[in-house]
Amino acid sequence: MTTERKPVEITLPVSGMTCAACVRRVEKALNAVPGVESASVNLSAAKAGVVYDPEAAGVRDLEAAITGIGYEVPAARLELIVTGMTAGHCDLIIEKALRQMPGVENVVVNCATDLVAVDYLDVAVTSAAIKKTIRELGYEVADRGKREDSIDRERQMRREELRRQTINMLIAWPVGALVMLGTFQGEWILHEFVPSFMGEKWFLFLLTTPLVAGPARQFFVNSWNGLRHGLTDMNLLYATGIGAAYLIAVINTFFPSAGFGGERATFYEAAALLVAFIVLGRYLEALTRGRVSDAIRKLMQLQPRRAIVLRDGEEQEVPVDEIEAGDVCLVRPGAGIPVDGVVVEGYSAVDESMVTGESLPVEKRVDDETIAGTINKTGSFQMRATRVGADTALSQIIKLVEDAQTTKAPIQSLADKVAGHFILGVHVLALAVFLFWFFVGHGLWFEEETRLLLTPYTLAELEVFGFALLISVTVLVISCPCAVGLATPAAMMAGTGKGAEYGILFKGADAVEATSRVDTVVLDKTGTLTKGEPSVTDIVAVRGDDDELLALAAAVEKSSEHPLAEAIVEATVGKGLTLPTISDFDSVPGKGVEAKADGRSVLLGNRRLMDDHTVDLANRAAEAERLELEGKTVMFMAIDGELAALIAVADTLKETSERAVSELKKMGLEVAMITGDNKRTANAIARQLGIDRVLAEVLPQDKAAEVERLQAEGKKVAMVGDGVNDAPALAKADVGIAIGSGTDVAKETGNVVLIRDDVLDVTAAVQVGRATMRLVRQNLFWAFGYNAATIPLAAGLLYPFTSQMVSPELAALLMASSSFSVTMNTLRMRGFVPAIKRGPPSAPAEEVRSVPETATEVGS
Amino acid sequence: MRIEDRDVGRVSAAIYGGLSALGVGAFFLATLLTGDYSWVSRIGGSIWIFLLAMIILMPTVTPLVRSRVRG
Repeated sequence: MTTERKPVEITLPVSGMTCAACVRRVEKALNAVPGVESASVNLSAAKAGVVYDPEAAGVRDLEAAITGIGYEVPAARLELIVTGMTAGHCDLIIEKALRQMPGVENVVVNCATDLVAVDYLDVAVTSAAIKKTIRELGYEVADRGKREDSIDRERQMRREELRRQTINMLIAWPVGALVMLGTFQGEWILHEFVPSFMGEKWFLFLLTTPLVAGPARQFFVNSWNGLRHGLTDMNLLYATGIGAAYLIAVINTFFPSAGFGGERATFYEAAALLVAFIVLGRYLEALTRGRVSDAIRKLMQLQPRRAIVLRDGEEQEVPVDEIEAGDVCLVRPGAGIPVDGVVVEGYSAVDESMVTGESLPVEKRVDDETIAGTINKTGSFQMRATRVGADTALSQIIKLVEDAQTTKAPIQSLADKVAGHFILGVHVLALAVFLFWFFVGHGLWFEEETRLLLTPYTLAELEVFGFALLISVTVLVISCPCAVGLATPAAMMAGTGKGAEYGILFKGADAVEATSRVDTVVLDKTGTLTKGEPSVTDIVAVRGDDDELLALAAAVEKSSEHPLAEAIVEATVGKGLTLPTISDFDSVPGKGVEAKADGRSVLLGNRRLMDDHTVDLANRAAEAERLELEGKTVMFMAIDGELAALIAVADTLKETSERAVSELKKMGLEVAMITGDNKRTANAIARQLGIDRVLAEVLPQDKAAEVERLQAEGKKVAMVGDGVNDAPALAKADVGIAIGSGTDVAKETGNVVLIRDDVLDVTAAVQVGRATMRLVRQNLFWAFGYNAATIPLAAGLLYPFTSQMVSPELAALLMASSSFSVTMNTLRMRGFVPAIKRGPPSAPAEEVRSVPETATEVGS
Repeated sequence: MRIEDRDVGRVSAAIYGGLSALGVGAFFLATLLTGDYSWVSRIGGSIWIFLLAMIILMPTVTPLVRSRVRG
């Protein structure tokens, strides 16, 4: 008999539709999905109503049909704070469980921040259902909510977690120590001051049982919650290890002749120390999670809570939230700047180091911009608020760093995958080891003198099952890569936070990883290596004096919008020159300009313009070439058909460009410069900076193609340039580094945003990236490495030769060591300073050298 | 006949439970055939084998069944 099913109707949001044709395409695609009875799309509402048979089709099928033809089904985003997560790959458990829910598109779990971000289709699954699933796994969930609230809540929840683990520690370690003393009561000199009743099995039973039922309860509960969803995690390793050791101890207490080592070998100390070491690991992880997010918390704490606003001539203290754009705020010495703004009165020096990484205080005068969260050092000033709330630079930076910390680096995905399989593999190994020692090993090598390391008794009474079980349990415990869940995210958080301290904003963990891997850095010339402000450097007068010729040139160029023309006009400022009147102005594209001044015919432009008018340049050709070899752009001026002057224009190199290039090369990176300049001038600049590879005469729109060409050579390319003009090239590169974003970081393209306009920060970014990835690799080594290395010992490799076995408590010590190593290693990043920032302040250039503007030739 | 989502758990449990029981059966048989093991060893070993087999098979079988169900 078949049951008649009722069709279901849902409404899916669809983005990317622009016309009726799109509507038809989407409808057609949806109708083609088996099980869909009807589909109707509303273009203006950007929604698709679908009636379908849920038995034959799912929401994912509908979504796939829409995305398959190039449209998108925008997902809702839910950000949650989840506590109770440990590094024991809880992230994988939650991720896996949520991904199994129909309608959940993407899940990012960050153990280090306790944040879980879920992209989901709200028509298919509700946020309540998502939270319920997480709760069912044994975790506590809270909405992330407003940033200020969330930081308080995160702090509160972290404190709570730390408090919980501290209590567990306070119970586990003293009790564990008592159990150890009791177990070793008859040994060495302990019998002289340890009462004999402490060595009684009943006493040890009474001590250990509350330990297993108390601090260790979390492992049993969590592993059961995972298993119910078909998931295994580290908790399972803990639970099986502790459970098996405790069970053997209890059997030996109540049934001493059962073959588990006899009355003396109770193993309570194994269970107790396992709990103590695992709880220590948990405590350290909770401690690390609190510490690594310091950077972002510090940023958040920069924002003052209250500010003084001048309203109707009165000073009013108001909460920062109430400041509106246009309000005038009074900032006193020592006070934090409440919002972004512009100085309208007063003068002071402001410490911007916490936002931009600039170590020296920055002078602020009228019309200078101020950044929220920076500290006023000396004088009082008034500022007009320009950006408030979420629009301030500080808020944008915090958001960028937070977003980065909810992403997953490729190496982390790999580590998670490996960890997932590792746990399963460990159980398979434990099974194989058990079978081997049960059926083969025990018969071949078992000796009555068998001893467990760190225990006082021989295991003569151990039967084959107890023997094989002990080895099997030890393998489970020793293999546990419990710190792996924390290894990468903690390092990434530390790295991105550290970058933010220096004004280097990574837009994701993948950006950190990519930055660490680059082998070629392409630097855009104008604005990156140079200041981007061309100026007149030389005037070679052939007929007349310099000022007269400059005034004439400025008069002619005044109507031109070319950057070189601006440089010439700028050169007259402050000289008190009177510009002659111009008539018959004409711009000759790619060559220059023509005009009449005081009845004289004036030409100003490149060689081609002079050639067109048969102006003889021969007697000044050598001089022109010399200027060009110095990296300057030469403009020729002719009056009434005769050469009158050579005017050289050049941009100025930034003081730090040469050092940055040199440092990048020292780091083993190939440095290339990309520019629209002609080859001769580009090569001249490259020589000055020590750059070996020059990509010259590249039009702005072709920069991306040049980057692609380098990538085709197998290079990992970082493109450094202006985040707006060089956006296509930045997007094409393996890492796009937008330099000099200032305070408007949100608008920048690229994977890495440098707040300051200093090319040395490119070096610092690579150093932070490399240091972070080094930390990740070290953490992964500590998390996986020596647990894996000691597996053969735990599996009894040395037993046939030594009759010694690794005890479960020793295995627990090794396991806890990995958490300890990861924690300590990660905390080292707090003191990390990029090498480039450690040295003496960048030496000023010996002389201000000049380089040409990007034009290939004058007037181009 | 299609297996519904809610049946995934039951079908999976039947498979991994069955396979684990099969493993235990094989172990028990081996203890009878290959040596003179005590009953404590036989029963204890069977319980341990069952536990490990379940832990190994639960997360392996469940996603497989689920993916079959969802096509």
